[in-house]
Amino acid sequence: MEEYPEELRSPPVSLVAVVGCGELHQAITTHLHSQQPPINSLALPDVSKISFLISPKPKTDSSSSAAVGILKRDWLQKHRTRIPSVIAALFTSDRISGDPAQWLQLCSDLEELKASIRARNIRLVLVVVHSHSKDDITEDRMLALRKRAEVDSKYIITFSQNDAFELKQSLHRLGSIFAELANTYYKDEGRKIKTKIEKKSFSSIELSIRYCFKVAVYAEFRRDWVEALRFYEDAYHALREMIGTSTRTTIQRLVEIKTVAEQLHFKISTLLLHGGKIPDAVTWFRQHNTWYKRIIGSPEAVFLHWEWMSRQFLVFAELLETSSIAIPTISSVIVGTAERPLTEWEFHPAHYYQLAAHYLKEKRSSLEFAVSMSESLGEVDSSAESVVPSTYVGQFARLVEQGNAHVMQPLTDDEYTRYAVAEGKRFQDSFEIIALLKKSYESYSNLKVHRMGSFCGFQMAKEYYGVGDFSNAKPLFDGIASLYRQEGWVTLLWEVLGYLRECSRKQGMVKDFIEYSLEMAALPVSSKTGDQLFGFKECGPAGPVSLQQRKLIHNEVFGFICGELELASSDESANLKVTVDNPLHLEIDVVSPLRLVLLASVAFHEHIVKPGSSTSITLSLLSQLPHTVEIDQLEVQFNQSDCNFIIVNSHRHSGALVDGHQGHRVETASSLSLSTNRWLRLTYDVKSDESGKLECISVIAKLAPHFTICCRAESPASMDELPLWKFEDRVETYPTKDPALAFSGQRAIQVEEPESQVDLNLGLSGPAFVGESFLVPVTLASKGHAVYSGELKINLVDVRGGGLISPSDTEPFSMDTHHVQLLGISEPEGEDESQQDTDKIKKIQESFGLVSVPFLKCGESWSCKLEIKWHRPKPVMLYVSLRYSPDSNESTAQKVNIHKSLQIDGKTAIMISHRLLLPFRQDPLLPSRIKPVNDTDQSPSLPSNETSILIISAKNCTDVPLRFQSMSLEVDGDDFGNSCSVQHGGEDLSDPALVVPGEEFKKVFSIIPKTNSSKIGLGNVCLRWRRDSGLDEQSGTTVNSVLTKQKLPDVNLEVSPLVLRLDCPPYAILGEPFTYFIEIQNQTQLLQEVKFSLADAQSFVMSGSHNDTVFVLPKSVHVLSYKLVPLASGVQQLPRFTLTSVRYSAGFQPSIAASTLFVFPSKPHFKMIDVQDKRIKSLATE
Amino acid sequence: MIVCVAVVGHQNNPLYIQSFTDADDALKLHHIVHCSLDVIDEKVNNPKKSGPTLNETFLGLLYPTENYKVYGYLTNTKVKFILVTTDLDVKDADVRNYFRSFHAAYVDAVSNPFHVPGKKITSKTFAERVTNIVKSFGFSSAA
Amino acid sequence: MGREVAESCVDSILTEMVSTYCNRFYANKPELAARRIEAIGYQVGHQLSERYTMERPRFNDHLEAIKFICKDFWSELFKKQIDNLKTNHRGTFVLQDNKFRWLSRMSIDPSENGDLSQDNPEAAENKAAQMTSMHLYFPCGIIRGALSNLGIPCAVSADMSNLPACSFVVRIKA
Repeated sequence: MEEYPEELRSPPVSLVAVVGCGELHQAITTHLHSQQPPINSLALPDVSKISFLISPKPKTDSSSSAAVGILKRDWLQKHRTRIPSVIAALFTSDRISGDPAQWLQLCSDLEELKASIRARNIRLVLVVVHSHSKDDITEDRMLALRKRAEVDSKYIITFSQNDAFELKQSLHRLGSIFAELANTYYKDEGRKIKTKIEKKSFSSIELSIRYCFKVAVYAEFRRDWVEALRFYEDAYHALREMIGTSTRTTIQRLVEIKTVAEQLHFKISTLLLHGGKIPDAVTWFRQHNTWYKRIIGSPEAVFLHWEWMSRQFLVFAELLETSSIAIPTISSVIVGTAERPLTEWEFHPAHYYQLAAHYLKEKRSSLEFAVSMSESLGEVDSSAESVVPSTYVGQFARLVEQGNAHVMQPLTDDEYTRYAVAEGKRFQDSFEIIALLKKSYESYSNLKVHRMGSFCGFQMAKEYYGVGDFSNAKPLFDGIASLYRQEGWVTLLWEVLGYLRECSRKQGMVKDFIEYSLEMAALPVSSKTGDQLFGFKECGPAGPVSLQQRKLIHNEVFGFICGELELASSDESANLKVTVDNPLHLEIDVVSPLRLVLLASVAFHEHIVKPGSSTSITLSLLSQLPHTVEIDQLEVQFNQSDCNFIIVNSHRHSGALVDGHQGHRVETASSLSLSTNRWLRLTYDVKSDESGKLECISVIAKLAPHFTICCRAESPASMDELPLWKFEDRVETYPTKDPALAFSGQRAIQVEEPESQVDLNLGLSGPAFVGESFLVPVTLASKGHAVYSGELKINLVDVRGGGLISPSDTEPFSMDTHHVQLLGISEPEGEDESQQDTDKIKKIQESFGLVSVPFLKCGESWSCKLEIKWHRPKPVMLYVSLRYSPDSNESTAQKVNIHKSLQIDGKTAIMISHRLLLPFRQDPLLPSRIKPVNDTDQSPSLPSNETSILIISAKNCTDVPLRFQSMSLEVDGDDFGNSCSVQHGGEDLSDPALVVPGEEFKKVFSIIPKTNSSKIGLGNVCLRWRRDSGLDEQSGTTVNSVLTKQKLPDVNLEVSPLVLRLDCPPYAILGEPFTYFIEIQNQTQLLQEVKFSLADAQSFVMSGSHNDTVFVLPKSVHVLSYKLVPLASGVQQLPRFTLTSVRYSAGFQPSIAASTLFVFPSKPHFKMIDVQDKRIKSLATE
Repeated sequence: MIVCVAVVGHQNNPLYIQSFTDADDALKLHHIVHCSLDVIDEKVNNPKKSGPTLNETFLGLLYPTENYKVYGYLTNTKVKFILVTTDLDVKDADVRNYFRSFHAAYVDAVSNPFHVPGKKITSKTFAERVTNIVKSFGFSSAA
Repeated sequence: MGREVAESCVDSILTEMVSTYCNRFYANKPELAARRIEAIGYQVGHQLSERYTMERPRFNDHLEAIKFICKDFWSELFKKQIDNLKTNHRGTFVLQDNKFRWLSRMSIDPSENGDLSQDNPEAAENKAAQMTSMHLYFPCGIIRGALSNLGIPCAVSADMSNLPACSFVVRIKA
């Protein structure tokens, strides 16, 4: 596109001229430029210069010029830059209103101006510039001026520049007049020519084309795109007719026609794309292309045609590219007629770039031919130098010096051809082609159109290859090869590999050369595919795809590998060769394309083996090379290098030739030849002494003295299909004879550990109890192995999973973070502490322990005890594992592991419960009992300053007898001691009490709260106990007693206003009267009015008032006394007493138990001591 | 004239490719067939653009090269048939007819118990049938 | 224009194939026999799906393909459609045939196993169930082959808890 002249590339802009008053020109020009649409202006200082600008119109006969050419080369430029549509003559006002001399001068200037523009119909505008303030110009002067200038009054304008506003207005006025006049000018010019076309008043097609072109250009000046498009199309069609009519066109004629067609087409495409009609433009281009594609012209100048074609595509691609930026969604506008649907690629510039490159290639080849022809004819082109473009578009002429003048001389076709060939030789088409292809390649790649992109890349790489730029070509080829490999396009891959092979040969890259050669030789090209022959003409340096060619390559590369051939690189000095100094090693992994060349599948026959016992391994090799390959030596490598072994081909070696692998096993095989597509299966035994994974890693095949291939071993079970060959219809066999092994064979197996010959025993004595240090004895007994550097690992794991750590973060400083804790590991008794090694490992953590085991000889045993403490009841798994080596040499010996596990339940041993009681027959009236509060606070209430009784019972929940050593109540803090006095019901148990399973142990405490606070804590119950160990009870030192603590809940404290006490003898005797006192104690400072009643009882006769109301004085006791006579013996109900406090409006009755009395039939004969009192009390509680 | 027919598997691997020209441009035809797979991908992946022909096996004209027209057909089993012709005026109906009979031939070929799915088609019978179909191309509508 | 084969021939060839693979080729390796039978079914399904989808537009999604299997494909094979299709909409489909043709004329006779049945009827029943399931590897393979060819890789298993109704469970691989 850049090679087109500027006037063609951009739409034309109206041209005007400004004459006179040079100081204003700058402002006017700038203003006109900024207008929409802009106007270009020419500025002339005065009228006399006008003749330089506008040459008198040549009055040549139009018919005579017809035969010469179609379009004049400079016509468009002339109209865009030299012939104004309007001329504005600027006069200062004083020249008009001034003296006659000035007026006359003005008139003559005007005349001159008029004369020069008349021929071309250029419009005239007079501008009177008011330089100063109000210069008054008389009416008649103005009229005279108008008449003189022969213009309409509205084309005489005044231009005042007094202030910015007026200046702006004047400029604006001037601008609109210019626009209007320019428009009429171009319209008139266009119409004039249009009538010529309509009347068909032209003598030749050339003229008609020229006219159409002109009309279109004038229309473009007016921005009438529709008309412009129509006339360009007309011109284009007329041009086509010209080809149709002139049967035999000369070379130059054709060049001219095509050049004009190209220009017209360019205009049409631009207009269409500009209007957003992309599909129309594409369709138009397609038509243009089909019309001219076949018009090749005479054979000797055929390259001109291809060049022209290439340019068409290039220009259209560029146009499309620039316009598609403006219109982003091309795909939405894809339509097309039913007959000729448009495909999507036709909207992508990449498509056109690609074809431009294609035609350029055509051009190059035909140019080369033409050059060679001309050279063979021995023509020397001196004449080409003086050839220049002539007056007409697309025509050339020779510039001949005739004296002082240069004269254009027409050329003959031969001369022209020679000129064109000479011109063509000057350009490097290859780089142009590469540039085009690169654009296309990048564009396709951006669109993610990989195959098209690759094709462009391939052509690009071929161009690079052609110009000898291998370093650029090779990466491109490589990328394309991987695509073809992936999709299995063997024929295409073959071609690319052929180029790659040559590239690496030329660059002297031995390894690459061999790799590409081997891959090519192993490609799935059978004689069948070879049937579909490709001519030599188009196939690459590798020759046609055929089995024969594969074999040739195979032979060549093996000759080279064996050092028989040399690689002739591009610089002759460095011929490369595989020798001792220059060995070659190839790696083939599971994704390498060279898997075709050598595939190694390795399958163990077993999954698990015992250490030291041998297992079979089948090694299978497959090659797709066309000839049988003889392998010198195979080395099989394992992750355990001790297992590596070498297989030697007995045919090729006399056995002594195993080099540099001391200590490795060497096997000899009778034959190691790899035939095409046939597994070479070798089965050997492998023995591993080391436990763990045994994996075959790779197989290294030595094919020549200095050439090895390392092939990654693959498991047959997980082997990928052979790339490329998987699409071939070929005989497929299993890598192993046994199909089951082929399905499931693995290249890795597990080698078991040696069997342990040490017993690990966990002794267990019953369940563990929370709180005690539970001992688990661990015993090691060696039965066959000595134990060296043994390590015992202990792990405690929650049975239900999860950790043993308490989830509660509320008590971070508590010792109880572990519910179960490994306290320690006690070594066997009698071991001297001082003899312990300093580096002896002994780590104890909360749930993990590690202890080292001393050396044990065969038959010896060792034991230790694990001390575990439960803080909460929880079942726990105890894992104990021993790791030792049976051999003294630690570095080589196998470690042996033994694992034991045991579930231990941690249980609560003792359940502690408590009860609170008031003293017998004493009932305080507690406000909380009267007014039941909401049950949020369920803790019991105690009367303060009164004695209460606390009974604590501990139950043995285990299934073993326990001994309780002591039970005490321990207070939390200091204040409790002051606030509450605790009196133990009895002294410590000197002889620990034996509590059998299920039995309960009780102890009574009396408490007198002395504080005023509403709540007190009762402290912790501390129970010291141990397991009842039966016989050795005396040696209590060995058995640690356990202290179980349990916190008692808080109780409420209340002051009771009234306390009711019943007082009667401990027992009565039938018929004997006794006194029953009822004391009502008022503890308040207030007078208390109480009502009481005493109900009759069947078993007693009674005296005293049944109902009454009494007043109890503050802080005093009111005593009621009744005499009772029992009438029946046994446990009898005393008369029920009911008290009602008026102040608290609460009724109050002692409990039934408190008002029960035992009546003896006659006086019993026993002594009464203090203890009995207690007995009765405790009896009453139950 | 049909110059090349091809069957391309669902991994875009060629299963059968046969050209009917002088050997000179056979390789070029391979390239054309390979490139046309891009268009098929595009059509299948962006079905909106193809409009009314949604899910039809016949994919229509894939792309015009300078001298050839390339048509495509995609079976339910993701096997692609590609046709390259030099005729500039081809009736859609002809191409559809061609693909229909080609598909039938293909199904018969792959239904051969000795044919392994996914492998190249090497059957001679298939090749003969294809040659016949290619020869008769365009005659049905002309007659 | 399909060629037709007598149903009894198909039945016979199926039983013969199963018994050959189970009793002769891989007598002690039922998994391997199952694998081979399934592979044969796979190829058959693969080829049949090629033929039966010839004249129809391409499927949009998995469900369409499964429906094709249930209706047209099944009709071509068994002259009836699948009776019930269930799916969890997450890639599992259950195709139930209330009277699966290939099992409908098969007598599962425990006495065939002779003395075994008298000693241990449960074992005999087990054996019978195993033999029946062997016969179902072939249709499973057919379904898998057809779906794989339609671009849906899947695993197919059969459930024959209430004969002769039979359901095939298709699990599409993600």
